[in-house]
Amino acid sequence: MLEIRGLTVAYGKHVALEDASLDVEQGRMVAILGANGAGKSSLLGAIGGRVVPVSGSIRYRGRPLLGMAQHRLVEEGIALVPEGRGIFPALRVEENLRLGAFPARARQCAAERMEEVFALFPKLAERRRQIAGTMSGGEQQMVAIGRALMSKPDLLLLDEPSLGLAPIVTREVFAALARIRATGLTILIVEQNARATLELADHAYLVAAGRIAGSGPAERIKSDPAVIRAFLGGSPAAAE
Amino acid sequence: MLTTTLILGLVLGGTYALLALGLTLQYGIARIMNLAYGEFALAAAFLAVALFQGIGLSPLLSLPGIAAAGYGAGWLLYQVMMRPLVARSGGGGRLETDSILATFGLLFLLQGGLLLAFGADFTSISHLERGVDVFGVPVAANRLIAFAICVLAGGALVAALRFTRWGLAMRAVALAPGSAPLVGIDVNRVARQGFALGAALAATAGASISMYQTFSATGGVVFTMKALVIVIMGGVGNVPGALAAGFALGLIETFVATAIDPGLTLAATFALFLGVLLWRPQGLFGART
Repeated sequence: MLEIRGLTVAYGKHVALEDASLDVEQGRMVAILGANGAGKSSLLGAIGGRVVPVSGSIRYRGRPLLGMAQHRLVEEGIALVPEGRGIFPALRVEENLRLGAFPARARQCAAERMEEVFALFPKLAERRRQIAGTMSGGEQQMVAIGRALMSKPDLLLLDEPSLGLAPIVTREVFAALARIRATGLTILIVEQNARATLELADHAYLVAAGRIAGSGPAERIKSDPAVIRAFLGGSPAAAE
Repeated sequence: MLTTTLILGLVLGGTYALLALGLTLQYGIARIMNLAYGEFALAAAFLAVALFQGIGLSPLLSLPGIAAAGYGAGWLLYQVMMRPLVARSGGGGRLETDSILATFGLLFLLQGGLLLAFGADFTSISHLERGVDVFGVPVAANRLIAFAICVLAGGALVAALRFTRWGLAMRAVALAPGSAPLVGIDVNRVARQGFALGAALAATAGASISMYQTFSATGGVVFTMKALVIVIMGGVGNVPGALAAGFALGLIETFVATAIDPGLTLAATFALFLGVLLWRPQGLFGART
């Protein structure tokens, strides 16, 4: 579904990501793992149209994606939940979700999808009239993910959904991701919480120092001693 | 006496509110502080007068066409003059400074054009001046009509912003332009619509004012300043706030003119402006920072 070849992203002279290639197949959940500053967000930013890469290609359903305006990607079925969430803090929860259904592709069944989002995040249903900016970080993350789902995406891009959240809230967010995953939606997720992400993902890419350092099925990555040392922490035995 | 002041003040305030709505839309949505705003209103006023004197078309009938022309002119101006500034600013605060300087220049360009086309004399047509009795106060019909236009246009705008998908997209761009593309909103398109709609409101206000007020080609700056005072009083980008502040300014001006001295109205306006800037820079109705 998504095909990235030789992608290089640079900010001035600083090369954030070099020659990255990866594939996301329809219906799979693919994780990009790596430490802070490894180049994960540059990768997602390039796919989401927020960063212009120096070179390389991104193809979506066989068609080139680079150069497409950010707002058009949503119409193509690509929804991005950026780092920092990018919600409308001054608007109500309900208004944020309604805006999620702004793309023409999502207008038809907006009411149904809103019910689905409320089923996924019951807290949002309770707080539908609340100004989004007055909610906790975890709840705002739910608004951001719910809003992305409102656009009826074929591919969901998640950038560090657990960043800055308390462990208990992180668990809640991952539980919701598991339910979204179960609907068969294709997901590309960038995370530093490698352990929780590998529990959900089918496939993972490891990014270190701006390069893709390894990749494989999540099951294998999870039990790879080198990965455990670098990304999961602790000994292989402890991870079992 | 008090009823008279109240009614005349509200009627005047209606026009002011309409005038300010366009400016607050342009700034709130397109982030352009349009100092040539008053010239837009003046051009519309001159056009309404020319149509009335030339072919006998009542400003009431020419108003929809003038509003549409205003939309078109605003659209074109955004595309030709503002779009490069927006592209250059990269979404930063530089657009505000650049747009103030650019529209300050535009002010003199438009003023020159108006002087050339209509001369420097004061113009008025006094259309529909017959008095109408409102709660025992005689009010000129043209002022009442201008008031009705304001209430209709302002009310429709507030309702559209509040209740329609289009309005939600406008508010989204006004509040968080960086996040709007995430939900598929074309920020450039919405900003252009907001700017053009603001110009249409300026034209509507100008054409309604032409029915009862005397004006000249150099008087645009007074319109801009009054609109600016109202916008800042109401909270920048706050549409209901601008409506309320417009009525408040009309009341205050009428009160000062009847109770103290008509020559002091402009001074009172700016005293109010300074007061708001000093003590409530976020506007009388704005709580957000």
